[in-house]
Amino acid sequence: MKNVRIWFKKDYECRYISHLDLNRCMLRALHKSKLPIWHTEGFNPHPFVTFPLPLSLGFRGTNECMDVKLEDDNYSYEEIITKLNNCLPKGLRVFNVTEPVMKAGEIAYADFTLKISYDKISSDKICSHLKDLFALKKIEIEKKSKKGIKIIDIKPGIKSYEVAENSGFAELNIILSAGSIDNINPNLIISALEKYFSESYYVDITRNKLYNSDMELFR
Amino acid sequence: MFSKEVEKLLLKVQKPGRYVGGELNEVIKNKNDVDVRFAFCFPDTYEVGMSHLGMKILYSQFNSVPYIWCERVFAPWIDMEEEMIKHKIPLYALESGDPVSDFDFIGFTLQYELSFTNMLNMLKLSNVPVKSCERRDLKQIVVAGGPCACNPEPIADFVDLFFIGEGEEVDLEVIELFRKCRNENKTKEEFLNLCAQIEGVYVPSLYDVSYNDDGTIKSFLPKNNAPAIIHKRIITDMDRSYYPDNFVVPLIEIVHDRAIQEIFRGCIRGCRFCQAGFIYRPVREKSPETINAQCKALCENTGYDEVSLSSLSSSDYSRIVPLLEKLNEWSRKEKVSISLPSLRVDGFVDEIMNKIKTVRKSGLTFAPEAGSQRMRDVINKNVKEDELISTCATAFEGGWTTVKLYFMIGLPTETLEDVAGIAKLGQTVVDTYYKCPNKPKGKSVRVTVSASSFVPKPFTPFQWEPQDTIPELHKKQQHIKENITTKKIQFNYHDADTSYLEAVFARGDRKLCKVLELACEKGFHFDGWNDCFSLDKWLEIFRECNIDPAFYANRRRSFDEILPWDHIDYGVTKEFLIKECKKAYEGATTMHCRLKCSNCGAAKYGEGVCFEKRKNMV
Repeated sequence: MKNVRIWFKKDYECRYISHLDLNRCMLRALHKSKLPIWHTEGFNPHPFVTFPLPLSLGFRGTNECMDVKLEDDNYSYEEIITKLNNCLPKGLRVFNVTEPVMKAGEIAYADFTLKISYDKISSDKICSHLKDLFALKKIEIEKKSKKGIKIIDIKPGIKSYEVAENSGFAELNIILSAGSIDNINPNLIISALEKYFSESYYVDITRNKLYNSDMELFR
Repeated sequence: MFSKEVEKLLLKVQKPGRYVGGELNEVIKNKNDVDVRFAFCFPDTYEVGMSHLGMKILYSQFNSVPYIWCERVFAPWIDMEEEMIKHKIPLYALESGDPVSDFDFIGFTLQYELSFTNMLNMLKLSNVPVKSCERRDLKQIVVAGGPCACNPEPIADFVDLFFIGEGEEVDLEVIELFRKCRNENKTKEEFLNLCAQIEGVYVPSLYDVSYNDDGTIKSFLPKNNAPAIIHKRIITDMDRSYYPDNFVVPLIEIVHDRAIQEIFRGCIRGCRFCQAGFIYRPVREKSPETINAQCKALCENTGYDEVSLSSLSSSDYSRIVPLLEKLNEWSRKEKVSISLPSLRVDGFVDEIMNKIKTVRKSGLTFAPEAGSQRMRDVINKNVKEDELISTCATAFEGGWTTVKLYFMIGLPTETLEDVAGIAKLGQTVVDTYYKCPNKPKGKSVRVTVSASSFVPKPFTPFQWEPQDTIPELHKKQQHIKENITTKKIQFNYHDADTSYLEAVFARGDRKLCKVLELACEKGFHFDGWNDCFSLDKWLEIFRECNIDPAFYANRRRSFDEILPWDHIDYGVTKEFLIKECKKAYEGATTMHCRLKCSNCGAAKYGEGVCFEKRKNMV
């Protein structure tokens, strides 16, 4: 038995599928690939797959990963990559297979690129809105959870950011708290922007990398 | 694929995965390399349409022809429709992202009457004129097939041509003819005239209908040499007929998210309410070898770990046990589960049960259809109460604790006593559970009783029958409720309002076209969904058009009336249907095709069960 971490990109059409649907797509691809994936031993045996940090519907992901267990060692990582890509829709592409170094629970930060546009104002205006927003002492926003709506301050969850003007959109590169404890969804930044400036933006979000609490790349 | 404009809408709507394509196994061609582009439209949501087997077969078959590119189109859900209208984005096909109006053929599959408004709405969203006579050029040819095409009259003004019967052969003949006509610069009229000469093609514009004062049909006359009777097409050799070895595998969860393997067409039973049981005659089986090979290929190409064996009444497959044995040889090893969704009460033998159970235990569903034996005899559902009970007992002993029972109310000759029998039968099943010595320990039984309202359909022995009125149906629903005394039974019933509208369109004539046209103008859509359906709004339209819906739903027709679908031949003769109707009134049953031939007329196709050797033939 061998643990492996499979790294993939989620983009194009597959950007628009939920985490549950992604899970189903991966299970079918693993089944179709006939790779010796360890199956659960319950009443409905299925390949055992875990995702260290699920990605929201609509986001592009350039460095996503999932963990599986291989029942034998006879496959090279290249073979696994080729076999899986033959079985996946084109919006999901496996590009690497590694031995997991860190545990999923160690994830503490994620870095995102947000391309923000609004056809009624210029992108430099959006940039200045963003700077104004981040200059606030507190960025309070309503967050819907299972227990109801609560007000949270997302400011402490912002590790660092960079704003750049681009033709047609403002580009925000931001590192946010991520993981099972303090997870800040970048959509909350957009909600805050909309709340403070009463505008509605079109935004294209990509998750680039995951880090542990020491800002080491999640491996 | 989708355009930049669509991309901006996708995150504003529920389940955007419906509108993007890009699935495993979708067929992408270069539009400059093909001669004919076919937009295969399913008039319902992606999740419903993608579950439909007929579409999968025809999609793969069309695309196996190099000069055709067939793409898929589904009805956008109301949130997406609203956004598309607001941003002036026309309906597009999933593969290329091109507008539907660019296509040579716009084909619809008609699975249920309440999707008629969606069909028209999809044309409207495509900016394609809804009425056939307003589409003058040899492009945007609107074609339709499927079970609702057996009475095409309520949508005769909108569809250029209908495929009657099974589509695998006739569709390609029409596409090939189109290609030829376009090369020869023929007009749309010339093309349609030639199409009408192909067996299985009905071109409604080539027929004139006149009516009597009472609203019934006086005459139905062909012109331009169109045939007076349109005969359905069928596939005679199921082993050699086209079947895909590959399905488009959706990115999002759909209603039937598994591989589907057809095992036979038709049904031997002849339940008198069931349209499918008559229009798909005769029964034609695939061999276990073919089914096994096709199942295996499907699983390998899609990655699905579940295959559903599809047919009407699957336990009537004559070689079911050898088939399941063959499938079990590899399915267990490959961790693939096999399900048989359409079992009859009397077909649920131990042997089958054990073979299915090896992989996955799904719920058990039986359809006794009626509560009393008298009523079951009237509808020719040859199931006896003790058979149902012994089957349930077997299931309970095998560890099952939930059973679903499906019934219909509003059947011809039905009384309140028959209706009360539904509750009684549910109770008997509950009692059976507690009498079982080997029932699962410490678990309670759960029996779901569902009652839908009977809709008389064309090409059945009940095609002349009135439907119960809505108050009558409500009374019967209430009566069942009052007769259920245990919490172990959960009672569901189907909304009578939708069944009423279904009954109107199922046996409608061309006068209903203007009703549908007005409904389309007013933005009706998704009438099969409770979110959108409103009978009051429909009644308003009927009033505006000066049409009485009760004329279609609640009127008893006489045997000599010209019915709107009389010019279409599905193999079963009208004489046979009349005989069956009369037998129903007497409560006399008819034996199924394997026991005795009843001379329904389907033997003329020269294939299938009609020519099998009967074991107990005298």
